[in-house]
Amino acid sequence: MSENIQFSPWLDSSQKPYIQIQNVTKRFGEFTAIDNLTLDIYKNEFFSLLGPSGCGKTTLLRMLAGFEKITHGKILLDGEDISEIPPHLRPINMMFQSYALFPHMTVEKNIAFGLKQDNLPSNEIDQRVEEMLELVELTDFANRKPNQLSGGQSQRVALARSLAKRPKLLLLDEPLGALDKRLREQTQFELMDIQEKLEVTFVIVTHDQEEAMTVSSRIGVMDSGNLVQVATPAEIYEAPINKDVADFIGDVNILKGIYKGQNKVGTQLFSEDSNSIVYATQDVGASVEDEMWFAIRPEKLEISKVAPSDDHNILKGTIEDIAYGGSFSTYHVKLDNGRILKAIRANRERTKEHHLTWDDEVYLQWAPHSAVVLLS
Amino acid sequence: MKRFGSFNIFSLIVGFSFLYIPIILLILFSFNESRLVTVWGGFSTKWYGELMQNQGIKDAAWVTIKVAFVSSTIATILGTIAGLVMTRFGNFKGRTLFSGMIYAPMVMPEVIIGLSTLLMFVALAIDRGIFTVTLAHITFSMCYVAVVVQSRMSSYDDSLTEAALDLGCTPFRTFILITLPIILPAVISGWLLSFTLSLDDLVIASFTSGPGSTTLPMKIYSMVRLGVTPEINAVSTILVGVVTLGVITASLIGRRQKQQVLKTQHT
Repeated sequence: MSENIQFSPWLDSSQKPYIQIQNVTKRFGEFTAIDNLTLDIYKNEFFSLLGPSGCGKTTLLRMLAGFEKITHGKILLDGEDISEIPPHLRPINMMFQSYALFPHMTVEKNIAFGLKQDNLPSNEIDQRVEEMLELVELTDFANRKPNQLSGGQSQRVALARSLAKRPKLLLLDEPLGALDKRLREQTQFELMDIQEKLEVTFVIVTHDQEEAMTVSSRIGVMDSGNLVQVATPAEIYEAPINKDVADFIGDVNILKGIYKGQNKVGTQLFSEDSNSIVYATQDVGASVEDEMWFAIRPEKLEISKVAPSDDHNILKGTIEDIAYGGSFSTYHVKLDNGRILKAIRANRERTKEHHLTWDDEVYLQWAPHSAVVLLS
Repeated sequence: MKRFGSFNIFSLIVGFSFLYIPIILLILFSFNESRLVTVWGGFSTKWYGELMQNQGIKDAAWVTIKVAFVSSTIATILGTIAGLVMTRFGNFKGRTLFSGMIYAPMVMPEVIIGLSTLLMFVALAIDRGIFTVTLAHITFSMCYVAVVVQSRMSSYDDSLTEAALDLGCTPFRTFILITLPIILPAVISGWLLSFTLSLDDLVIASFTSGPGSTTLPMKIYSMVRLGVTPEINAVSTILVGVVTLGVITASLIGRRQKQQVLKTQHT
């Protein structure tokens, strides 16, 4: 997809969505798992459904696969209503969280299973299995049984099996949840490569926000059965729609502000924490004295022992705690009113040389365009 | 692990003696030369040879094997279905009643089962014979299969079934290709269990059999009433052997399966 550097079909109104989830509701008895949810996903997207456990993301995925019946609404795939089609007739494959490898079959037989159901000629099956084994680099393991594989190998067999039928849409339920951190990061890149190489649309469910940020074209943040925000990882991170999203994705300092109007610098908010006016460049439609919040990511807070020359957006405090992370350090700064803010500083010089240590009086400053004003 | 104390060893010996001395005596005396059952007259296998000449015992054995084979096979099919339903379909309406009704024959006195099936056959005017004994055996051995299959299904990962469906396999083929092979050890041990249960049943068979369908336990019982002969010891020894073999095989299969489950959970 090298010619398509700016991959954003959702901004192009001439593009037709590949999956259309239209006003879908799912109830389990009294409990509403999905509440009137509408979502369009485009071809070749790597779409993540992200949310805390119990938010309905897995239920939505299972409805796409056909394992859960939709209570209201419908799901279209390439313009065709698939709501009533049973799972074994849908041109969609899924990779399960537990991998669900058939324990009584070898790796090879597991991968061939789906192809055999389509009654393909055996030489074609062999060829495709071979291709898949190469893709996931497990050619030497073709004759192993699932219980002779490591976690990472099982994960790749599960992936190969779900890709063998060349589905147009692949659903992945927490695909990397069972892997350790290093392997997970490596596998994330493999997943992205495979997705680009095979031009498959991926819909992935995860509760790991870092994973979602790394792999996705877009993220749908879910909470109690509905989508809170659907946007690119950068938009979600830089311009979250509300406090919950800001808080769920990455670390953030959320401060309260009272709206005082606009001036040439931008939006003026009175902050109780700094006991002064702070500025944000973002325009907000609000009336004077409205209560709102502004969110600043820790890495966007400048921390220094020297008072900054200009006096915009400054908070004063003392260093309460330092978490040394090697490439960066996280400082917990206690404001005079007792609130603790987090600031991250890249360790560009060795720590010995910048002399920031416990109980130091420091200034925190941020640029007006770095803060996000949140109305709710 | 705690060493065996002398009291523990004593209890063990007393307990096992209580259980097994009668059986061991029976086996020993089946190799007795003497016609008198309680007097040892030297080792011999002549009663086994005699047995082969006894048409009555041979007929009864043949009936028993036929009944056990057919009834355990059908009971396995029905019991497997029942076991699957109980784990697969969660909390459907009337689940408690259904499972209670499946387990009931395990605790119901055999006399009651025998009597009630007899009454039913009489009411329906069905001639008693091999057919009725087989039916009655299916009824009471089905629940054992259901229990074994259900306990296996409780550790079965449902996403295996879903994965097969997802890959385009029809629900029926999924059962044949995925579910059944995985639970097969449980199904086989269920079959062995019901086979042995049918083999050594006396009470229910006595109620439901008719002329020409005397089973081996019934035959032995009627022979004993005329006095114990070494021949009876011989046939009983064979029966003990077959049943022991069945039970041991069933438990070995069960143990292997448990180890496999543990192994897959660890990886």
